[in-house]
This record gives sequence, C-alpha cells and structure tokens, in this order.
Amino acid sequence: MSEKEVIVGRESLWTKSGRKLLRDRAGVAAMVVVGIYGIIALLVSFGVIAQDWDKLGEEGFEGMSAAHWFGTNINGQDIFARALQGIKTAFQVGVVVAISATAIGGILGAIAGYFHRTIVDEVIMWIYGCIDAIPFYLFVAAVAFALKGAEFTVPVLDLHISLAPYAMHIAMIATFWSSTCRIVRGEVIKIRGLEYIQAAKAIGVGPLTIIRRHVMPNTSHLLLVQSTIAFVGAIKSEVILTFLGLGVKEGVSWGIMLSESINDVLRGHMGNFLGASGFLFVLVIAFNMFADALQDALDPKKVSG
Amino acid sequence: MMSFPRPLPLLGLLTCLAAVIGLTGCKKPFSDRAQDVSVFRFSDNGAPVTMDPVQSATQYANLMTTSIYDQLYEYKYLARPYELKPRLAEALPEVSEDGLLYTFRIKKGVRYSDHECFPGGRGREVVAGDFVYSMKRMFDPKNLPQGEWLWQGKIVGMDEWKKTGADYAQSIEGLRALDDHTIQIKLNKPFPQLTYTFAMGYSSFVPREAVELYGKEFGINPVGSGPYVLKSFTTKKAILMRNPNYREEFFNLEYEGYDPKKQSGLGLEKLDGNRLPIMDTAEVYFMKEEMSRWNSLNKGTEIHYGVIPIELTHMVTENLKPLKLKPDYEKKFTAMNLPELGIVYLYFNMSNPIIGHHPDPEQNRRNLLLRKAIRAGYDWPQRNRRYYNGIATIFPGTIPKGLDGYDETLGNESVTPDYEQAKRHLKEGGWTPENLPELDYNSVAGVRMTQLYEQFRGWMGKIGYPREKIKFVQYATFGDYNKAVKQKNCTLIGMAWGLDYPDAENVLQLFYGPNGSPGSNSSNFDDPEYNELFKKSIVMQPGPERTEIYRQLNKMIVDQVPAICGLSRNTLTVWHKNVVFLPSRNPHGSLLKYAYVFEDSKD
Amino acid sequence: METLQYAIRKLIYAIPLLFGVTFLSFILMVHFGPDLTYSILPKSATQEQIEEIRAELGYDLPFLQRYGKFMKEVVTLDFGSSTSSGEKVSSILKKAVPVSFLVALPAFILANLLGILLALYAANHRGRFPDKAVMVLAAIGMSISYLMVVIAFQLIFCTSYGLNWFPVQGWVEPPPDYPDATAGEIFYYYWYYYWSYVAVPTLASIFVALGYNTRFFRAVIVEELNRDYVRTARAYGVRNRKIMMKHVLKNAMIPISTRIIITLPFVVIAGNLVVEKFFGIPGVGLVTYDAITNGDLPIVKAVVTCTAVLYVLALILTDIVYKIIDPRISYSK
Repeated sequence: MSEKEVIVGRESLWTKSGRKLLRDRAGVAAMVVVGIYGIIALLVSFGVIAQDWDKLGEEGFEGMSAAHWFGTNINGQDIFARALQGIKTAFQVGVVVAISATAIGGILGAIAGYFHRTIVDEVIMWIYGCIDAIPFYLFVAAVAFALKGAEFTVPVLDLHISLAPYAMHIAMIATFWSSTCRIVRGEVIKIRGLEYIQAAKAIGVGPLTIIRRHVMPNTSHLLLVQSTIAFVGAIKSEVILTFLGLGVKEGVSWGIMLSESINDVLRGHMGNFLGASGFLFVLVIAFNMFADALQDALDPKKVSG
Repeated sequence: MMSFPRPLPLLGLLTCLAAVIGLTGCKKPFSDRAQDVSVFRFSDNGAPVTMDPVQSATQYANLMTTSIYDQLYEYKYLARPYELKPRLAEALPEVSEDGLLYTFRIKKGVRYSDHECFPGGRGREVVAGDFVYSMKRMFDPKNLPQGEWLWQGKIVGMDEWKKTGADYAQSIEGLRALDDHTIQIKLNKPFPQLTYTFAMGYSSFVPREAVELYGKEFGINPVGSGPYVLKSFTTKKAILMRNPNYREEFFNLEYEGYDPKKQSGLGLEKLDGNRLPIMDTAEVYFMKEEMSRWNSLNKGTEIHYGVIPIELTHMVTENLKPLKLKPDYEKKFTAMNLPELGIVYLYFNMSNPIIGHHPDPEQNRRNLLLRKAIRAGYDWPQRNRRYYNGIATIFPGTIPKGLDGYDETLGNESVTPDYEQAKRHLKEGGWTPENLPELDYNSVAGVRMTQLYEQFRGWMGKIGYPREKIKFVQYATFGDYNKAVKQKNCTLIGMAWGLDYPDAENVLQLFYGPNGSPGSNSSNFDDPEYNELFKKSIVMQPGPERTEIYRQLNKMIVDQVPAICGLSRNTLTVWHKNVVFLPSRNPHGSLLKYAYVFEDSKD
Repeated sequence: METLQYAIRKLIYAIPLLFGVTFLSFILMVHFGPDLTYSILPKSATQEQIEEIRAELGYDLPFLQRYGKFMKEVVTLDFGSSTSSGEKVSSILKKAVPVSFLVALPAFILANLLGILLALYAANHRGRFPDKAVMVLAAIGMSISYLMVVIAFQLIFCTSYGLNWFPVQGWVEPPPDYPDATAGEIFYYYWYYYWSYVAVPTLASIFVALGYNTRFFRAVIVEELNRDYVRTARAYGVRNRKIMMKHVLKNAMIPISTRIIITLPFVVIAGNLVVEKFFGIPGVGLVTYDAITNGDLPIVKAVVTCTAVLYVLALILTDIVYKIIDPRISYSK
C-alpha cells in the first residue's frame, strides 16, 4: 500500500519536473547540444564517421582547409576527425565514471543513512573521510601505479582483464563516489524518519528490502543530478590526468590533443588547441547548464510551485 | 536603495591586474650593475639528482662529477675523433704483453680542495689509495652503484670482494696501490677499453674522509680535486668556483687537437696558453623546459649557452644543412650542429617466439621475414623530418659514423621504407592480415610517445598490418617500463643508447647473447655465430682485423633484424658571440674549464 | 572550557581517520607503489644486482614489517632521506613548502575575496541582469579546463606570439652575489622575481577557481537573504547595506569559512600539482609528483602523512570555528 503511494508520488514528481524542465529554455538548448554530442559519439562508436583519425598524412602541420577543418597535427592526422573521436572517448569516460560513482555513492549513502548512528554508518563515513584527506591528483597517481600490474579475473570464464588501462576510471570512481554518498546519506537520514518507513519497519520488512524498495527510489533525483556533475568532473579530470601522463591509454582524447598542443602552439599551430578546447568547452558548458536546469526542475521545494 | 558598492569587484580585479602588469614596467633588479664577465653560464636540459660518482649515470651527473672530481684520463678538447689524454695520470698506462696487467702512475702533489672533512681543513694529497677506495665503493651494493657493469668480471678478485661482504679493509688482488702514486690493475681477460672507462665520472677519485663525514648526503656534498668546487646546488642551478688548490694546467691548442680547417673562426686560438680553469666561476643552469632556456639565452644577459628548441627552428634559422641563423640571431650567436655519439633504435624482443627466435626453423624463417617486413615499413626519413627537424643522421646497422667499424659500403636499404618490398616479405612468409600476430608496442606514457606510436601504426597500416593488432602498452614511469623490458615482457621496445666510450664494442655488446635481459641486450638476440665472433673481438686490440670483425657483426644485425636501427640525433646548439666554447657531448665530460668569456662584449 | 572539551573529543575521534589515511597511503603508495629498483638499475645489470638493490631499498621485507617501519616513521615524523639524492626529506620539504605556499597564496586570497564580492553583487541583484551576467560568467569559468587556461595564458603572457612579459617557467633563484648589495636591492630582487614568476599562475588559478567560488558563495548568501530575519529587518527599514554587511555576510561566513579552512591544508602542503608542474615551480606538488613517478618513497610518505594530518586538523578547526561563530549553537546551550 505504502509502496504504491510512493511510486505514484514519484511519478508525479517526475512528470512535473519534466514539464518544468521543458519550460526552461536554456535547459532545453543545453539538452539539445548534449544530445547532438551523444549522437556523434554513437556514430563514431559504430564506425560511421571520423574513422580515419589516425591516418598519417604526407606532411605534418597543415593549416586549416576544406579537407582538414582544423588542419593536421605533427603526424599529418586530421585534427577534426580526432576531435570527433574525442567526443566518443569523453562519453565513454564520463558515462562509466558517472554511473559507477553515483551507483556506489548512492548505495553506500543509503545504507549509511539508514543505519545512521550505527557502526555501519561510522565505517562508511570513515572510508570517505580517508579518501577525502588525500589530495586528488596524488591519489589518482597512486591508484594508477597500484593498478599497473593488476588483473581482474572472471573465475568461470577464465578471463583475465588487465586493469591498467582503466586506472584513470577506477581512480576517478574511487574519489567521485564520496560526494554522492554524503548527499544521499543526508537525504536518507531525513527520509528514514518518515512514517511509511517506520511502518514498513514495524511490520517486519527487512532493512535491505526497505532500502531497496523505499529509500533508494526517493533519492533517484539526487542521483540524477549527481551523475551529471560526475560526468562533467570526469571529462575535465581526464584532460588534466592525461597531461600528467595518467590518463587515457587508447585511442585519442581531448586531453591528449591539448597536451599535444602545448608544443604545437609554440610553433604557431593552433589546430589542436582550438579543436580540442572548443569541443570540450561546449560540451562542458552544455552539461553544466543541463545539470542546473535539472536541479531546478527536481528541487522538491519548487515542484509544488 | 541599492547603495551596495557596485563597482567594487571590478575595481579589485583591476587593481590586482594593474599591480601585476605594472611590474613589467619596472627595471630589472641589479640591472644597473656591470655584468660579471668572469662567469660562464652554461645550461643543460636536465638536472642531476646526485653527484656521487658511483651514481653518475646521467649526462647531468657526469657533468658535475667530471667538473668537481678528477679522473685518470679525459678526452682532448678539440680532437675529433675523440682522443684520450692523461688528467690525473702521468701518462697513458703501461700495459703488459698479454694485455692483463695495467700500471697507472698518478701526478704527485695534487691536492683535494680545502674542506672541513680533512684534518685542519686543508685538502690532503690525492693518492693511489683513493682510487682503490673509490672503485671499491662502486662494488659496494650499499651505495646503489650504477657503473659496476663496466668492470664486472674483469678485475681479478673484485667480484669475490663484493660477494664476501664488501669489507673495505680487505684487499683485492687485481686492484692495488703499489705506493701513493702507482695503481696496478690485474685483469681476468684482456679489456682494451679499460683506459676509456677511467675517463668516465664513475671512476672519480673520492676522498674517504668526505664520504664518512656526510654519509647518505655525500651525493649533494661533493669534495674533489677537479678544477671546480661546488659552491651551491639546487635542482635548478649549480654554482662552481675555481678550486684554489687546483694544479697548474695550461691550455695547449695544438696538443688539444685543434684543426684550423674545421675549427677556425670560433676564436679558439685565444685559449692558447691560458691557465685552466679559464673562468673563475661556472654556473650550470638546469633547464628542462626548452622555451624558458631559449628565452633566457635570447635575453643576452642570462645564460651563455643553450639550444634552439625544435618548435622555433623555423623562426631562428635560415638554413639547417649547413646551419645558418637568421640575421638577427646571427649577430648574437655562434651556432653549431652538435651530433650525439649515440643511437636511437627499436628493438624486437627476440625471446618472444611470435616475432623472434623460434625453435622450429620454418617458423624462425617466417619470423625473420615478418621483422624484415616491419623494417621495410619503418619510415626513418619521415620520422627524421617530423621529429628531428630532418637533421638527424640515419645509418644502417648499429655502429654510428665516426667509429671504427662504421661501414660505408653497407647499403641504405635497411633504413629506407619500401612498402612493396614489405608486402613481398609478408607474402613470402605466408603472412596474411588474419594470421599476423598481435604486437605490443611498449613505451613510457606521454604525448610524444603516443605520437610516435601512432606514426608507427600508420606505417604498419601501409604494409597491410591490421590496426587493431598493434597494441599500445604504456608504463607510467621509465622505471616501470624498464622493469617490463628487463623481465622480457615487451615486444617492440624503443630505446636510445649513448656511448660510454668511442668504441663500437659499446654498441655491439647490445646484441651479445649473454648480455640478455636484465643486461643491456634488451632484444635478447642470441645468435651463436654472433656471440662467438663478438667474444673474439672484445679481447682484441684495435686494428684492421678487429675492424673487419666489427663490420661483420654489424652486418649480421642488419641481416637478422633483432632491431630496426638506427638514427643519431643532432642538436642545434648556440652560444653568445663573446664566448669561446666548443660544445660536445658524451664521451666528453665537463668542458667548463675551457670556456672563455671575453670582456669586450657589445651587449 | 566547553570548547576545549569539544576539541579534545574531536581529536580523539580523528585517530581512526588518521590511521585509515596512513593505511591507505601505505597500501597504495608503498606496497603497490612505484618501484625505484628499475629506475636506478644500471644500463646493464644482472639478476643479482636487482636483488641487491631491492634489499638495499627494503623492498624484500614482508608486508607487516614494511608497514611497521612505515608506522614508526609516521609516529616519530622521521622519514629519513630521499632514496634518489640522499638529501633529508625534512630539508627537501623545508624548501618546498614555502614555495607552494607563496605560489598558492595570492590566488587563494584573491579568488576567495573576488568570489565573495562578486557573489554579494550578484545576490544583491538577484534575478536581474547583473546577477544573470555574473552567473553566466561563472558558468563559463567553470566549464573551461584548467589546462586550456594555462596554455592560453602562457601563450598570451609568456611567449613572443603574445605579450612576452613573463618567464615561461621557473622560480626565484637566490640573488647574485654582490658584496655591496643593499638590503633594499635584495628585497627588490626577491619582490620583482616573485611576482614575475607568480603572476601567470595566479591569474590562471583565479580564472579557474572564481567560477566555482562565486557560485558557491552566491548560493550561500541567497539562502541567507531568504531568511525571515532579513525580511523583518527590511520591514523595519534597516538599510540594505547594513543588512548585507552586518547580518547576511556574518551568517554566510560560516559555510564560507568552512570551505576556506578545509581547502587550506591542500594549499599549504599539497600544493597545486598542475600549476607547479606546468610552470616548473619546485613546490610540494611537483616534488611529490616527481617522487611518485621516480619511486622516491620517503618523500611520498612524508607528504601524504603531513597532508592527512593537516586535513584532519583543519576538519577539527572548522568544527570549532563553527561552534564559535554559529550563534544558534551558542544560544541553545
């Protein structure tokens, strides 16, 4: 009974928020931009466009032309195609990190909040306290080193997956989950006092079931907003980490292009710099605006209005 | 109502900007003082971590140790090809008939610089015992020595001394001080390059007193008998002052190997008869960042010597071969194209059966054809144009120009891309895109490395190698990469080797089977014929017979393709017009004592 | 007295946190951490030499023994000497900490100060054009990658393609040795070079931090402005400026100072790795990064431990500051 009520309540919250979001012009524009990026990322992934991004040209450092919109780099590779490939890489990093980090943060946060003032809560708080106390880039560097020889083994299939290429993803997930965890924990501490939860408890529903069925769904709006923030954070961190030599290991990314451009600009070649930073900037600002619009739309204080 | 100070934030920002920008209008500190002309300001593109001779593995550390410490020998300043001359030694060594017993006599009355570690603070005389002590330090694992391999297994009793616990009180049969000025070395087998190794920073004369005083911090507190003493040291700059105790040493133009045909016009004649070190102070700036190094050089008041960054070549030079600067720079600088005595190459890991040696002769043949195909796709000239300004020297085999054994008759086919040839090799070996093996391209992480990898993969695409079969395996640090190499985990290994001494033995040993990983032979090439021939050559004195063997060995490397080689880099060096200097790299050590900054500077 | 008790309780509470941080650092940076062996391995080596080096560096000890050694160093705060140069870690840090501090300080102060001013300005014009303009600028600032700013600024300020006002990289050197140099001249020397090296990093850091700061501070101030007492005060005709300065800002200072104090330990000791690496400034960030990539464990251990300790101390400090300046807490007790 109580469950139904919640779901109905939630749906109405979602539809209301959706309507609100559509009324926000900047939010809609941002959403369209993100959508276009997403489509490009899919087209690139399925091999439709920008497949000759690593084809060598006869000469390097060509200027902008109809054939090469942003010119070519030192290897004579087309910078525009590389920037489009960068979209794919950015989405791959962003999506993996955002989903994993918010999932881990959400689950641990819900558990911590539900078991507030117990040892479980203390342990979870202790873990993120420890991670927060180590400077981010040092932590990532350390994780990258720790994972260099690590392998993930799937026992039944006898699969060995080297973790080294994903050191950056893992390091980001390991740090990004803590903010989601903290926010969800705070929200759940509020929720757990609500009547229907107390009622569920009283009729003997197990704590994990309560968390899964009643607590988690009520934090989903927070998770959505947190995942957009994590997405942007991941894309921006990738650039810095690649510059530090800890980043993307395969393919091309905006971080690689920007790092290349450090030398290029001194020769007077701006292609890599303009290409990578233009694409990066537009995506990040669109995502930031989208996150803002989403936050406004989902703000329960404003939903009633 | 809105009385809140509106322009405040803007105002704040503007003031800050103004403060910072205003600064650029200020005069430079101490700019009104006459520039000190008794200082030579040298620059290098990296910094030494330590100046302990047993760890002077880098050119930066070697620069410092050869400035501060004395070695038995050094190379003549101007002679090319390189020629040894005695430094602390009286003369070249006396060698027994069988080439096993060396006697070195050292100069008398040479003193260490004054230092508190000596009784009364006065530098004591340098004696033969110091050499014995210093070499023992090289074999003491506690010092984490890096040059041990040069003498390993060669000096009678040395390795046993280390095995029995490296006790300094214990004497070594093959390394003895006969008296204060005579060193005797007994070898297990002939080692004609021995004298060369005593010109390296590793073989510095170190006073025991200083090591005992400083312990672990000895590396940053060097005490020696060389031309300079260290006044201050940071990872950005070292200041060296004339060693007041330095013996009388005068520059002799002819003796140093001056070649009026090639070296006139540099003002080197001015040096003749000067007492060394010519400058009272030498400052070494460690500038990793090429642009700041160039800016500093270009200002005219800072460093005297540097290099043209590859990114700015087109702005600074008019012509590269021969090197000519644009008029503006021509007025300020003397420029020289400085070749390295070294080689850049790409190893195949021959211990990996998918590409290297294989017990099955048929597979072995196919692997050789595969390596040949990859080599035929490797576009050295393009690499040279894109990454080395097109001024690097490309040569077949592993022996660079100017060394005994360099073979002009060896054709350039092995360093010229030929995609048709590559495809023929693949066909002959029965290789198809489906059965070609997956290759790991191993390298340290970094943007430049990624670019090189992508270029390589592009070439392989041209010979029909599927893109996804060339994998990039990156390592976060050189140490990690080196570990993988030494554990034979890599397949394609990009490496560079700087020669320790001007003898082709130093590059040919890179393919000698018993030197396989973790030794210097990272290709793990192990060919019985090559090994036999190499073993024969290393005990031979220089001569036509040895040259012939070197050529044969070099040819075998071209034929068997354990590596794609090679290229020697060139650096565009520049120095101010009012400086007399002739830069050089390995095997030369420090040349600071020869630098001459003259007073009639126009700046 | 009550505050003291509170502080002590917090300190005791921090022990498990410190323990956790050091354990995590040990696992990540020491146990799995970089291996110096192969960086200092000679050009040609034997398996025996590898074993010798490992033994010399203590890598061959069992896990617990290494951890014990590490904890002993942490407790005694004696981290020994750098394994690559032999220099004492304490003397390395003594040189690097002030550098990091001096590099980060101007940007830290200005970015916070300007952030507060811009936030006040925007909050005061809530919903109208100036607010929107500031917020759009903040959004742009937040969306620019740090690396982009650094590359662009370097191009503009430090190269001949742009203004070429400042050096590309580096840090203040000791002044030249003029025996007759006056104290004034030496001071001017330091002042001049300090600003010429710190200007571009500072501008870049402000540019990047300002967006985040302004947004955060504006949100805090707006929340405060929405409180009943502001409305009441306005109704009583208290002047806007007085409300802003005396009440709103004062109350908003709680979250603002929390944020500032929390970021302080990272500024003081961890340094800004990216700035220091890009501009070649020998601060703690660069020293630590180099130590991590070279496998110079003593330095890594020292920096991580000190940062963690300072961070935990800052957490406690914020709690205490919170308690002192939050009127609600003091009124209720």
